[in-house]
Amino acid sequence: MNPDYSLLIPEYILAVWAALVVAVDVMMPKLRRDVPAYLAALGALAAGIASVLYIDVNKGFEAIPGVTIMHVDDYTTYMRVLLCGIAVFILLMSAQFVRMRLSHAGEYSAIVLVATLGGMLMVEGTELITSWIALELLSFCFYTLVSFARRELRSNEAGLKYMLLGAFSTALFLYGLSLIYGVTGTTTYDGIAAALSNRGEDLTLALVVGFVFIIAGLGFKVAAVPFHMYTPDAYQGAPLPITAMLSTTSKAAAFALFFRLFTTAFLPAHEEWKWMIALIAAVTMMWGNLVALQQTNLRRLFAYSSIGQVGFMLIAVAAATQDAGSSLLFHMAGYAVTNLAAFTIIVVFFNREGSDEIADLAGLAERQPFLALAMVTALFSLAGMPLFAGFFTKFMLFVSGWDAGLEWLSGVAVVASLISLYYYLMVIRQMYVIAPRVPGRFRTPALLWGVIAVLVVGVFFLGIWPAPLLDAADTAAAFLFRA
Amino acid sequence: MDGFGVTAAFWGLSALAVGSALGIMLARSLLHAVLWLILAFAGLAGLFVTLSADFVAVAQVLVYAGAVGVLVVFAIMLTPNSQTGNSETRMVGPGLFVASVVSGIMVYIATQTDWSTAARGDFPATALEIGTALTNRYLLPFEVASVLLIAAMVGAIVLVRAARDEPERRELAGEGEGEVNTAEAAGREVVAAGSHGGH
Repeated sequence: MNPDYSLLIPEYILAVWAALVVAVDVMMPKLRRDVPAYLAALGALAAGIASVLYIDVNKGFEAIPGVTIMHVDDYTTYMRVLLCGIAVFILLMSAQFVRMRLSHAGEYSAIVLVATLGGMLMVEGTELITSWIALELLSFCFYTLVSFARRELRSNEAGLKYMLLGAFSTALFLYGLSLIYGVTGTTTYDGIAAALSNRGEDLTLALVVGFVFIIAGLGFKVAAVPFHMYTPDAYQGAPLPITAMLSTTSKAAAFALFFRLFTTAFLPAHEEWKWMIALIAAVTMMWGNLVALQQTNLRRLFAYSSIGQVGFMLIAVAAATQDAGSSLLFHMAGYAVTNLAAFTIIVVFFNREGSDEIADLAGLAERQPFLALAMVTALFSLAGMPLFAGFFTKFMLFVSGWDAGLEWLSGVAVVASLISLYYYLMVIRQMYVIAPRVPGRFRTPALLWGVIAVLVVGVFFLGIWPAPLLDAADTAAAFLFRA
Repeated sequence: MDGFGVTAAFWGLSALAVGSALGIMLARSLLHAVLWLILAFAGLAGLFVTLSADFVAVAQVLVYAGAVGVLVVFAIMLTPNSQTGNSETRMVGPGLFVASVVSGIMVYIATQTDWSTAARGDFPATALEIGTALTNRYLLPFEVASVLLIAAMVGAIVLVRAARDEPERRELAGEGEGEVNTAEAAGREVVAAGSHGGH
């Protein structure tokens, strides 16, 4: 029996569309340089719509009978839609930016699509080799994208650091996989779970070290402390929309892989890795939020703030319950919407002023009240204020950690969350209290105005009426724990 | 494939691989390190033979010891202005410590673990097995790998080749304010000049 190739239609759309974008760009040299990005955004939208058609499909992609290397279920669908949505917004905010600041406009948009494709494959992979190659696809696209501003030394530096550390973490990850394979004798998630639950009581050191290596490798991809060293430089050096993508696509996909791998394949050995992830989560959230306090550059601030957020999300992986899964998915969506809003605002400001220093935001409320207000929304959401998306999603996350017996971790998370409020408020103070350095209002381009408005509405929607998305996240997470 | 000859070959080749890996680390010149690297690849290829993975061994010799090694030598030879020495570092002590702890743990694991082992019969031709796996069980990951290679190739071209399209900053800058952008554009040129000087 042939595997069911129709399960992967969204992936085909992305791959073909990426090739198409490059082809169009090559064939029509006169094309305005923001067009490829809009074209690619259409492709991501198409893939997103195609993904919606798989709601309530629950089927494995069996490469050969009995070997399921990918699984399309509601978890996959949820993440596919999220990743495609992120790609649409990233491409929309890229268009102007690429036109003004980058060359190779066609290739840029195509690689963004391929990165999204890699992320989608990471989500659905249920076999170690498949998941790993998908992870590499995502990473390679990011190595290129981060150094895309090739005339800027900072971008080159960021790309180089990201690639070297990425290669190192890949090696660690593979070493971990080989240890797991050596103990269990299989690479499918199902097979590993079966082998782990049959192994009896003895704690195998090889298994623990395998987990350590896998957690370190994935920890690098999601930027958890102590594997976060590249993050601030990559965030600061990368072209601005790619910074946004690093903080959304890369994290969402890596966490989806992380959660699926650990809650399906490694769940029988939960006791052996729970403490490692809980420890990393605690260190990550404290470190990220404390170091964020000292930042003067907006991108570095967001780098450390995203590290803090990673700490919160790791709670869900450590807890590894169905509730934790649904709150992780929910938080990921809220975080993505919020971060995209914040970064679209920064892109507009950067396109206009060429600066990403917090000090230069001074008086933004006078110069461009809409941007300032939208930024306040995003920052309050990230800090977790009530009425905004971030409050409810974080609350769910902390509660799920508490219920899973990680009370201390949820306590640390609340403290870290309070600390984060301080540096978000500092940015707001800069915008509202300090007098502008450069007088005069400026206008936001209509399209980006619309994008920001949609995202801000999204932040409020998730904060005030979270039920629809929460239901979807619940259904999605249930698929991982159906066994 | 058991017997004294095979065992001796295994240990000999292991010593060769590990020894030349050490050589890579200790060599002061980048070119010497590459030569050690090629030797390490050859040692690994020999190890694969003793483990009955004949196809992997051949691929290792052709691709790594051959192509990759020559490529790296070319890359070093063709970039004359880059520094090829191994600079001093203060991290030798901590590095040695971490490396010996990790390798100690790995050796302990390798000897103590109850590995899941495959039955050791006569091995069929491994090329056939690998080919079947790639076109069957791993067809999809194989295709994903091809997407990855294309993406990596496009990325490499983008980063190295001169652009046929240029950013339109100056043009757009004319639309509104002048001062900030001109100052920043000047800054960018200084950065670009700096990058040329650096290499």
